[in-house]
This record gives sequence, structure tokens and C-alpha cells, in this order.
Amino acid sequence: MSLLALFGIFFYVGTFTIGGGLVAISLMQQEIVSRGLISPERFFNMVAISESTPGPIGVNMATYIGYEMYGVWGGIITTIGTVLPSLIVIVLIAKYFSRFQEREGVKAAFYGLRAATTGMIAVAGANVIQVAVLTLPSFQKSGSWTDICSWPALVLFALTFAVYQKLQWHPVLFIAAGAVFGVFFM
Amino acid sequence: MGIFADMNTFREYLELFMLFFRIGAVTFGGGLAMLPVLQRELVSRRRWLTDAQMIDYFAIGQATPGIIAVNVATFVGYNRKGLRGAIVTTAGIVTPSIIVITLLAMFLNNFADIVWVQRALRGINVVVAVLLISAVWNIGKKTVIDWITFAIAGASFASMFFCNVSGVIIVFASMLAGLALKYRKGGKS
Repeated sequence: MSLLALFGIFFYVGTFTIGGGLVAISLMQQEIVSRGLISPERFFNMVAISESTPGPIGVNMATYIGYEMYGVWGGIITTIGTVLPSLIVIVLIAKYFSRFQEREGVKAAFYGLRAATTGMIAVAGANVIQVAVLTLPSFQKSGSWTDICSWPALVLFALTFAVYQKLQWHPVLFIAAGAVFGVFFM
Repeated sequence: MGIFADMNTFREYLELFMLFFRIGAVTFGGGLAMLPVLQRELVSRRRWLTDAQMIDYFAIGQATPGIIAVNVATFVGYNRKGLRGAIVTTAGIVTPSIIVITLLAMFLNNFADIVWVQRALRGINVVVAVLLISAVWNIGKKTVIDWITFAIAGASFASMFFCNVSGVIIVFASMLAGLALKYRKGGKS
């Protein structure tokens, strides 16, 4: 497959990713794994690495697949392909949004939308708690209430919560502290 | 004169690039994880946005093509400095990914299997959970303002968390709900 065709695939992925990184991953799986360009095992290994490294997971995957197939330039080209549709669509929306946002209808729609977005962000929080603090599979297996959460995680959760309410440090400091705590205690 | 003006413009673009480079470099997990950092940098520190505007950007980012984090970066960049600003912020947010992933792919293909990496990530995830809950709480104070918005936020959470309803559907349903409630009696009051 030529680099141009690869660019086209990632442009397609960027265009049809609506609603988050997991959508991007499943589109990439369809386009890349189903064509036999990368084996399924390798693909899921790349997903694991993309989840473990900084940056939006969709962008990480695009870079990774591009690098794997065409080296450094491949990684850059696939990343550009993935973000180009966003750039075009968002610039068009941003250009006209300020003109429309004072209209009554737009205000009414955003009255509902802001509340719904708050709910969706809460889902992201609940999902992280499920993965990071709770250990539901081992609770289901043993049925013992002491297995329902990871205790070091609960301690870190309570500590971070208490300190974050009191001290308005930059969130990055807390993320770094969490990494250090994790290395030693989790 | 000209060269100093150019230097200042350059410095403004560089500031935008570095800001989103930093945000890209500390965003673990999905794009929503960057919300607390964005709130700190753009709303409380620089006052470029209000909380309501930031939520609008996330809402639009969720309903339009592309990765949410990138969409928000592009939106902020465009509003600060037009098309060039949008390109600069988009480049800023993806550059850490390009650097980190390329280096890992070159040298450390089993990065995710390293024990201390897994441990550090577990700690990071717990902190991200706390940061997200605080962000939701702060934002909720401004977006959940009456019983209708409380019902919409609750329905949005429940349908996505328990029934895996797609964000796109929630976005359009909530906009329709907002419109319907506003005009339900035919009057515009």
C-alpha cells in the first residue's frame, strides 16, 4: 500500500470518528487489520502501548501504525491524515459559531446539550473509577467484600481528593505524584 | 518595528503551541482526561474561556468528526488566532504523541508489559478519576441549573453508562430536548 493510500485510510478514520477514541480504534481495526496490513496480536499490543503513553489514544495509534508501515514519515503522515478532517470541520464551525450562538434556538439547544455533556464527562469519571479503584472481577469471583476495591488505590483516591480540595496545585503535579505512588505501592 | 511585531506574533504562536504540547504530554487515556488540565490553563489561569464556553467546545467536539481532544485544541486555537492558530494548537497537541510513540516503537516495543509502567499507570488512573470528578462537580454547578437540566444530565449519564448509548445520539437528543422545552407552548417567552 502506498503512503498516499495510507493517508487516505487515516483521513477516512478521522472523518468517521464521532464520539471518541474508541470509535477511532474500531475503525482502524476494520481498515488495517482486516486488510492484513498488521496482525491482530500486533494491533492489540499497539493499543496497549497507546493507552499507556501520553496523548489522545487515537492520535497515538495513528502515529504507531504509520511508523510501523513507513517509518518516521509514515507516523507523521498518518497523524496528519487523522486530524485533518477535525481541523477542517472545526474551523468551519468555529467561524460561524460566534455568529449563531446568540440566537434563541441555538441557546435553547445548548441549554440541553451542556447538561448532557456534563453527564457524559461523568461517565468518563465513572469508567476510570471502575478500572482504577474497583476490582469487580475479583469480587465476583470470591464474593468477599474486602475484594471489592484495590485498597492502595482507595488510599491514593482519598489522599488525592483531600489534598486537591485544599491546595489548588496544577493537576500535572497530582498526576506525577500518582505515578510515583503507583510505582511504590500498587 | 516590523521585526519586533513579527517576534511578538511568533511568541504568541509559540505560547499556543507549547500550551497544547504540554496538554498533549500529560493527557493519559481518553480526551476527556484533559479536561481538568484545560480548565486550569484556559479558564482559571489565562481566562481565555469561561466554563460554559469550554463545555460548548467539548459538546461540539463530541458531535463532530475527529478525536475530541484534537477538536477542542483546534477550536481554542481558531478562536485565539484564526486558521493559523488552529493549525498551531492542533500541531501542538499531536506532537508529544508523535515523539513518544516513535521513540517507543524504535526502542521499546514491550513498553506496556513493563511492571513499573503498569504500576505507575494504575496510580495515574486513580488521580485522573479524582481530577475528573472535581471537574464534573465544578462544571455541573454551571450547567445543571434547574430540575430539567438535572434530568437531562442524569439521563445522559445513565443511558451512556448503563446502556452504552453512543455520544452522538445523546448530543442530538439533548439538543432536541432543549429546543422542545423552550418552545413547548408555542410561545418564545
